[in-house]
This record gives sequence, C-alpha cells and structure tokens, in this order.
Amino acid sequence: MNVFAGKDGVRPSTYRIIRNVVVVWLTLVILSGFLLSIPRIAILEHTARNLYFHVPMWFTMMAAFIVSAYHSLRHLQSGDLRRDVRALQAARVGALFGILGLITGIVWARFTWYVGTNVWWNFDPKQTLAAVQLLIYGAYFTLRSAIDDSEKRARIAAVYNLFAVVTVPFLLYVLPRQMESLHPGAEGNPAFSEITHPVMRLVFYPAVIGFIGLFWVLYTQRVRMAQMVLRSNEMEEAEL
Amino acid sequence: MIIHSLQEDTTSLGESSPYDSVWSGTEVPVQQREGLEKVMLQEDKLYVVLAVVLIIWMGIIFLLFRTDRKIDRLERNMTERISEKSSRS
Repeated sequence: MNVFAGKDGVRPSTYRIIRNVVVVWLTLVILSGFLLSIPRIAILEHTARNLYFHVPMWFTMMAAFIVSAYHSLRHLQSGDLRRDVRALQAARVGALFGILGLITGIVWARFTWYVGTNVWWNFDPKQTLAAVQLLIYGAYFTLRSAIDDSEKRARIAAVYNLFAVVTVPFLLYVLPRQMESLHPGAEGNPAFSEITHPVMRLVFYPAVIGFIGLFWVLYTQRVRMAQMVLRSNEMEEAEL
Repeated sequence: MIIHSLQEDTTSLGESSPYDSVWSGTEVPVQQREGLEKVMLQEDKLYVVLAVVLIIWMGIIFLLFRTDRKIDRLERNMTERISEKSSRS
C-alpha cells in the first residue's frame, strides 16, 4: 500500500481523472479560442483572443493565492507542517501564473496601446500594481529562505502570507480603478467593456476554469513531491 | 462604441505590398490554393499559430504525465522503505 495515497490529499485515481479532464478541457479551450470567429475591431483585431489566455492567468493567480492563504491559516491553527508545504506550493504556482500574466500583458500592450511608439512599459497603473503584487509574494519566498528553523519559518511565513493576500483585491481591483489606466476596468469601468462581444464569454469562462484546473494539477504534483521530501527529512531525523 | 469591420484585404491576390513575401512589381501567383494550404492560409494564417500553440501544449502535457509517473514511482519506493523499516523495528 502507498503510504502517501489519499493521506492528507487527493486519491491518486481521482487526481488522474481530474488531470485528464483538465488536459482535454484546455485543449478544447485553445481550439475554440482560435477557431471561434469574433468581430474584428480596430487596434485589437485578432489580439482580442488574448482575453482567453492573458486574463485567466490573473484569475488563476488570485485563486492560487487564496488557496495559499487558506493553508497558512490552517497552519496557524494546527501547527501542521504539511499545511505549510501546501501554502508554499500554492504561492509558487500562483506566482508563476502571475509572472506569465505580467509578461503576456506587456506583449499585448506593446502592440495595441503602444503601437508605433516602441514602448514596452509605461508604468500603466494596472501593470505597475500587478508588478508590485508579485514583489509582495517575492518577499514571501525571500522571507522563507531567511529562516532556518522549519517551524518558526512556517509560522512567520503564514502570518506574512495572510497580510499578503489582503493586498490582492486592493492592488488588482480597487486602486487601478481609481486611476487613469489604458487597461479595461480603469476609472470605474467594468473590465468587460461594451466592445467585448458576448460570444467571447463562451470561451473566456471555460478558459478561467481550465487554467485554475491546470494550477490545481501543478500544485498537487508539487505538494506530493514536497511531502516526500518532508517525510524523508523526518526519517533521517528519526535515525539520528 | 461602434465595432468597426476592417477593410477587405485586397493585397493577397493579384498585387503585392512592400512587406509581401513576393517582390513588389512581380506577378503574384493567383492559382487556387490546394489541400492543406487551402485551410491553413485562411484567416490571415491564424491556423498556423493554432498549430504552433497546440504543438507546445502537447509538449507540456507530455512533461506533465512524465512527472506524474516519476512521482508515482518515488512514492512507491518510499512506501517500501518505510514498511521495511517498520517491520525491522
């Protein structure tokens, strides 16, 4: 019997089913993202299809950070190091999606907002605050690496993580809407503007679900690996 | 806001523009596209991008499955080691 199977985690057979569904689901999202014909509007043209790929990166990052904060909270309640492992791995995969969101946003902006100006980065409030958000989580990883004692590290990192997640809605929603930004959703506008054709929602929402599913698969993989490391460390300590 | 439709692309057949793949001023082949090209060159060659993205996605899926197999194997090995140890003690 596998001592890891189902123990504080998903059963391997359930994991495989969800993984396979996510893989097929995202393949269909990519196919329909390219194949569904959309109205062509000036400036955006085919890049409007980035809605299906760029925006879900941020939704996925937020979902990941919420998962991370949840496990940090549970760690503070229980002192269980496996909760700390989950908080760390969720934050790591979340930060990956955030970095992808930032880079894809830079590329998209370069050829729409900044076309003809040769500008890649112009400190647009939405982009700048998203970058600040990633730095806040960067500090979470730095903080962890600065503490050697694993229980102390888990506790301090969990407290920091709870403060970090509180900044997410402010940096990504509240503040950008108070400022002048080229990004949809600025100055109190809804992020889905009136030029976003309703047909695009057919692909957009499944894309969000699919990428959150992909986060879950990557996160579960990393948690399984990290728990093996934790277990082997425990075994070594028991031998000493 | 009004949704503008783009102007019909008139450069693809019969005449070339400076950034066309054909020298400007030369005769552009106007024969009918056939087979795979007939599909792939539609929509400003968007389907070529789709093919590229799908190939990358397949590579990522391959890595995902391989990593899962590796984790399964490691978990099995560790489980064996743990049960050996507990039976010895």
